[in-house]
Amino acid sequence: MSQVETEVLIIGGGIGGAAIARELSKYKVDATLVEKGVDVGQGITKYSSTIMCQGANVLEFRSEYHNSRLVWAGMSLMEPLCRELDVPFKRIGSLELVKDQAGMRHPEKMMRRFSNWHGKYLPADIEPLQFIDRETLRRWEPNVDKKYIGAVNDPNIAVNDPVRLTIALADNARKNGIKILLETEVLDISAGTDEFKVQTNNGSITCRYIINAAGEYVGKIAQMADADDFVLYPVKSYQAVLDKKVGGLINRMVLATGSGMVTPTIHGNLFFGISPGSQRLGKAHDHSTDKKLADAALRHAQELVPAISARDIINAFVGFIVFRNFEIGWHECTVGVSRWVPRFINASIGFPGICAAPAVAKEMIEILTQQGLRLEENSQFNPYQKAMPDFSDLSDEEKKKLIAQDPRYGHVVCRCETVTEGEIVEAIKRGARTLDGIKFRCRPGMGRCQGGFCGPRITKILARELGIPEEEVTKKGGESRNLLYKSKELLEAQQ
Amino acid sequence: MKLQDVDVAVIGAGPAGMAAAIKAREAGAEKVILMERAEELGGLLHQCVHNGFGLLYFNEDLSGPEYGHRFIEKVMDTGVTPLLETMVVRLGQDRQIGAVNTREGFITFRPKSIVLAMGCRERSRGALNIPGTRPAGVLTAGTAQRFVNVEGFVPGKKIVILGSGDIGMIMARRLTLEGAQVEAVVEILPYIGGLIRNEVQCLHDFEIPLFLEHTVTRIHGEQRLEAVTIARVDGQRNPVAGTQRVIACDSLLLSVGLIPENELSLMAGIQLDPVTGGALVDETRQTTVPGVFAGGNVLHVHDLVDNVSWESELAGESAARFAAAGKPEARGEIKVKAGRNIRYVVPQTISGRKDTTLYMRVSEPEETVRIKVGNITTKGMRAVKPSEMLKIELSADKLEKLKEGTQEIIVDCEKRGGK
Ligand SMILES: Cc1cc2nc3c(=O)[nH]c(=O)nc-3n(C[C@H](O)[C@H](O)[C@H](O)COP(=O)(O)OP(=O)(O)OC[C@H]3O[C@@H](n4cnc5c(N)ncnc54)[C@H](O)[C@@H]3O)c2cc1C
Repeated sequence: MSQVETEVLIIGGGIGGAAIARELSKYKVDATLVEKGVDVGQGITKYSSTIMCQGANVLEFRSEYHNSRLVWAGMSLMEPLCRELDVPFKRIGSLELVKDQAGMRHPEKMMRRFSNWHGKYLPADIEPLQFIDRETLRRWEPNVDKKYIGAVNDPNIAVNDPVRLTIALADNARKNGIKILLETEVLDISAGTDEFKVQTNNGSITCRYIINAAGEYVGKIAQMADADDFVLYPVKSYQAVLDKKVGGLINRMVLATGSGMVTPTIHGNLFFGISPGSQRLGKAHDHSTDKKLADAALRHAQELVPAISARDIINAFVGFIVFRNFEIGWHECTVGVSRWVPRFINASIGFPGICAAPAVAKEMIEILTQQGLRLEENSQFNPYQKAMPDFSDLSDEEKKKLIAQDPRYGHVVCRCETVTEGEIVEAIKRGARTLDGIKFRCRPGMGRCQGGFCGPRITKILARELGIPEEEVTKKGGESRNLLYKSKELLEAQQ
Repeated sequence: MKLQDVDVAVIGAGPAGMAAAIKAREAGAEKVILMERAEELGGLLHQCVHNGFGLLYFNEDLSGPEYGHRFIEKVMDTGVTPLLETMVVRLGQDRQIGAVNTREGFITFRPKSIVLAMGCRERSRGALNIPGTRPAGVLTAGTAQRFVNVEGFVPGKKIVILGSGDIGMIMARRLTLEGAQVEAVVEILPYIGGLIRNEVQCLHDFEIPLFLEHTVTRIHGEQRLEAVTIARVDGQRNPVAGTQRVIACDSLLLSVGLIPENELSLMAGIQLDPVTGGALVDETRQTTVPGVFAGGNVLHVHDLVDNVSWESELAGESAARFAAAGKPEARGEIKVKAGRNIRYVVPQTISGRKDTTLYMRVSEPEETVRIKVGNITTKGMRAVKPSEMLKIELSADKLEKLKEGTQEIIVDCEKRGGK
């Protein structure tokens, strides 16, 4: 049990907490981030559709919402951030499809409002929306259902890998002086006049400021400090991942009002899911998938792209979007100082929190300053870092060079995603402790066989590198061991 | 050996690849290389420590490793060059191979001909879309087999197996012998998915409960699997309300089908059969890309290794002929089509001029039937099942019955008697 003192405590290592930690590392400040999981980025962030730079859809994002203003600010921040941290980022554009003449009112209104707001609420450096007719739609996206008569093209939409971004943000923050404590769960908070006393499973932490970036659990954390001046509504959201084999069906994200969305991912798969507006209220933290939700999502996706088939699904999951206000939906966010407890700052965007994260982080600096924290620039701050090598992405020459330097890059461990032992060892060096930790850093097990082939091999490598027995390797920490017994152990126990 | 001079390159050194490479050598190919990503030859045979291998090919009842060893020795004796720990990561339309290993690094070369023998992989949870949580302890039967038989670990002690494929049933027995309790084998169809002999020897002999027309409808547990819900299904395979029961378990093994591993084939522009998931081939086992042949589970999933060996020998022999001639033989153009109660037939096209064996599976179990191959031949059978592959031999003289200009032959499974 340890006793930690820190000026600023960030609770939660999702995209939100990690972006805030990294922003704070630009200043000379004593700050600590605690995350209950074995790794960062394994909360809601893991479940997102990975769509970046949303916001140009001005019928959804509106000037009166704080949420929208953060998303808009984030539109110009995301790409440079990914570049600094060497995280993949790709503009793909999106098409909001129009079914019939009556539906044309929607794009007309959207285009009109966009031109009024461009440069005013919306950053001036973003690309304008554009209407494309049926023929262009056919040509751009031959696999989109023929019933659609046109679409609004938003060229700003991009995809990235939010978990990798979170890992990179946390790494960079750590290198620039922020303390990061994993497997540290906040259990209770008591607010004194000048400071907070925070109980964790690993001892207590005393701090002056708390930033509550606990994602799905922001309500629970706020409650601990009696700062819960809001009610949250967890809304269940289902998504499925399709085999790379059909990754080329569409080039852009496509969506339609009342339907779902289908999008290419940065790694060449397709994702489909139901848009947040049409989701159901779920039991909090129940991440189980159910058949009704799955069937509905598939039907919706097939409306948009008929060639999508259940046969090509390689994975499916449920995430929660935390609505601040069920009537307004996801537009209202929980970002700002608690009305009841000074220096207790909530930082949770229900949706789309990844797009908004860079702007939320900047806003946190302002709020902390207003709350009395003196922030001096950190002249040592280094914004850059290199991603680990991605073998399958290299040219033949680069592959040769890498293997010559380290032969472990010549040993392919995951056949579906072509991941080498070299990458796995590097991921472990960079902090991966579990099968999921490796999977989210370099993708073995994310392919069509879902770890059937590489699972035993990676278990071996992890055990070897960490110096633990293979039975102690877990999928995601805690009780999630993969192999419960050694050979003959059960037989011996019976005798 | 200089890779630039290779006559036949075989990709994958399981039973299919070994048989193809040996035969290619025997048929006169000078330089044959056998490329394998694992550290040894034999493929999945190493983890199949049970018996039942070679009953047809060797007339003996061997274990997987024993069956494999006979071929490994022959690979050495015939002068095939194995290239181990080498992963083929690219296959071009022009037969250009790209591969990596730790010794030579990244290598590219273009052999005169190629045999694809990459085998198959298991269908995973994602493909089934089973509702519920995502804990540790859900794995495919083949992965469990590797853990138990090769790595020396037992995944858990209370096991449910979904699907009654052969690997699933064999693992039910194996885990029972390891001291685990197999609570249930759950099969959605009204009949088992694997061989009868495995139902008898692996399930009945060990009193393992088999639930036909049932499926897993939910997975429970946050970190490690805690239980599954199973339910009866109706004729449309939908769960019947009120029939759910929860079975506590720490492991769920999936034995729900195998998928030919054809990512390289797709890269090479080879056309696949949507039913088998493998390449479209003629009776020489040539795919739609000249000089590229295929055999074994990469072509269609077999239930007996003996047939894998025979089929791949054919592919190896054809590849040797192609390498020697340096140009394609005329491709068989007569289509062989699946008719009544036939799910698929391999090869999909034939020339009609050579002795040919048709491999096929039925769609539904049926009794007292006759397999009719166009007007060429018929064969009576007492009972047919989807899990058991059928073979029909067509001799060249029987094929002479084909009329000039025949474009397709339909294979039907007809009811005998009555009618
Ligand atoms: C299906 C789906 C699709 C989405 N698609 C997009 C999209 O395309 N684009 C987009 O921008 N947004 C999208 N979103 C929204 C986005 O994913 C979230 O807004 C964002 O990830 C929230 O990040 P976060 O850091 O606030 O929360 P989280 O990622 O959940 O992070 C919170 C962290 O806090 C930790 N924590 C919780 N309690 C404690 C405790 N007591 N002690 C210590 N640590 C604790 C958790 O373990 C977790 O790691 C989507 C959301 C869903 C569900």
